[in-house]
Amino acid sequence: MTERWFPDEMPYPSASAETSGFWEAAADHRLVVQTCDDCGRTRHPPGPVCPSCRSTRAHWAELPGTGSVYTYTVVRQAFIPALSDRIPYIVVAVDLDEANGVRLVSNLVDADHSQVEIGMRVEVAWEDMGPDLSVPRFRPSTVLSVESPTRSPTQSPTVR
Amino acid sequence: MTNGSRRRAVIVGVATSDYPRLPHLSEHAVHGQAADRALADAGLSFSDVDGLATAGFFPMYATGVAEYLGLHPTYMDETNFGGASFEVLVEHAAYAIEAGAAEVVLVTYGSVQLSTMGRRLGTGGGGGGGFAPGPAIYDALWGNTLVGNYALAARRHMHEYGTTSEQLAAVAVTMREHARSNPQAQERDPITVEDVVTSRLVADPLHLLDCCVISDGGAACVLTTEERAADLEKPPVYILGAAHATTHHMNMSAMPDLTVTPAAQSGPLAFARAGLGPSDVDVAQLYDSFTITVVLTVEDLGFCKKGEGGSFVEGGGLGIGGRLPTNTDGGGLSSCHPGMRGMFLIVEAVRQIRGECGPTQVPDARVAVAHGTGGMLSTGATLLLGREAP
Repeated sequence: MTERWFPDEMPYPSASAETSGFWEAAADHRLVVQTCDDCGRTRHPPGPVCPSCRSTRAHWAELPGTGSVYTYTVVRQAFIPALSDRIPYIVVAVDLDEANGVRLVSNLVDADHSQVEIGMRVEVAWEDMGPDLSVPRFRPSTVLSVESPTRSPTQSPTVR
Repeated sequence: MTNGSRRRAVIVGVATSDYPRLPHLSEHAVHGQAADRALADAGLSFSDVDGLATAGFFPMYATGVAEYLGLHPTYMDETNFGGASFEVLVEHAAYAIEAGAAEVVLVTYGSVQLSTMGRRLGTGGGGGGGFAPGPAIYDALWGNTLVGNYALAARRHMHEYGTTSEQLAAVAVTMREHARSNPQAQERDPITVEDVVTSRLVADPLHLLDCCVISDGGAACVLTTEERAADLEKPPVYILGAAHATTHHMNMSAMPDLTVTPAAQSGPLAFARAGLGPSDVDVAQLYDSFTITVVLTVEDLGFCKKGEGGSFVEGGGLGIGGRLPTNTDGGGLSSCHPGMRGMFLIVEAVRQIRGECGPTQVPDARVAVAHGTGGMLSTGATLLLGREAP
């Protein structure tokens, strides 16, 4: 278990009937997306019914855990008192690869706030919050590609 | 004047409570003050009211307001659509009146958000630890804030369309110009584009002056039939068309396109129901929680093309005599924003149509649009109001 990126006062996830599959996979450091068995549509947050075809049958498709920044903000005012020592921090919306349009809001870690830009390639960075609980944050991609500038894979003590 | 074939709902009374600082009043007392004044404006009394509509953050909220006001309504509505609630409540009230389910509907709003937050500052907030239930966790985990969610939309709009911080700032500057004519407005000192873009960043790219004020305050309006309005002192204001829509609940990951709000659905539908188009609108009251909210709304309501909102609002585009005179009371950015500002939009739209707005009166305003935006750009509701019967 790693130290938390945010302080302990911040909320942590509680799985519901619809979201437990996501969090069980997350505990194994697998990023998954709920996918309709009948029409193949992906959806997030997870829900009981496919918004396209109304099927209640779905599975969890594993994703590569990479994506591109769709948009971002740098939060500089701590409306949440527990985060007053943590600002500024980066919130990103990530267009996930191979997820058919599903986007995840999360944090960009291991990056200075001046580095972040739309289109930036990112990869999941799992934060262990307990023996059976991990959450997906993102860091700049360590894979060389046309879109992604080279970055040294700096390992934060809080995120592995 | 009356259409014999159908009942038509009109707005006959509007009022705001005192604002923006009401530390001496309870939330119910703010409702009461606004309701008293709106009924007086209409020339009606509480004994005429058979319908009550309001929105708040507790179940059976309207019932509590009814008890406080001493009302026993037989039509009630407490639809909560966030900041867009009051446009929906007026739309519903119009349907109820036209269906014969109510004669006189009072729509009230009251909030003491500023004073309440003042008492809680430093001890509360969105953290608090513990488990966050169900899908809500998908946004709660990341420490994003309400401003941060709107900032995500602003950043994406800038990326796709080249919108600039200076263009967003133009919205705040025009609202402040309008607020200078409103003696009640919370912020009245003139500001420049430079002031806005050099104010501190709250959540990039939104600066402090891109964000609305936080206020105490309330407002109310009274609806009845066109027939009954004929005996009242003030001229009736007609509901020409109304519609509302939603794109997602609270998770920004569920919003299909962060540059397109529910106004893109509710706007065209309201215009179609009114048999009007954007070019028929003389004055606009648009929810301005943040400067980006206004830029997105003018695009989605069809006042300009998608992506052109930045240039539309620049250079006094929203000023009196501009392309679309907007938020003539100073808006939420400068005048008053107690949390769900939608009721204030309706009050100011009615006052414009009646010609009561003094220095910020748009000459001969005949058609006004009031558009509320709620949640995390999640809900939108459009009301088209006019001087003449549809």
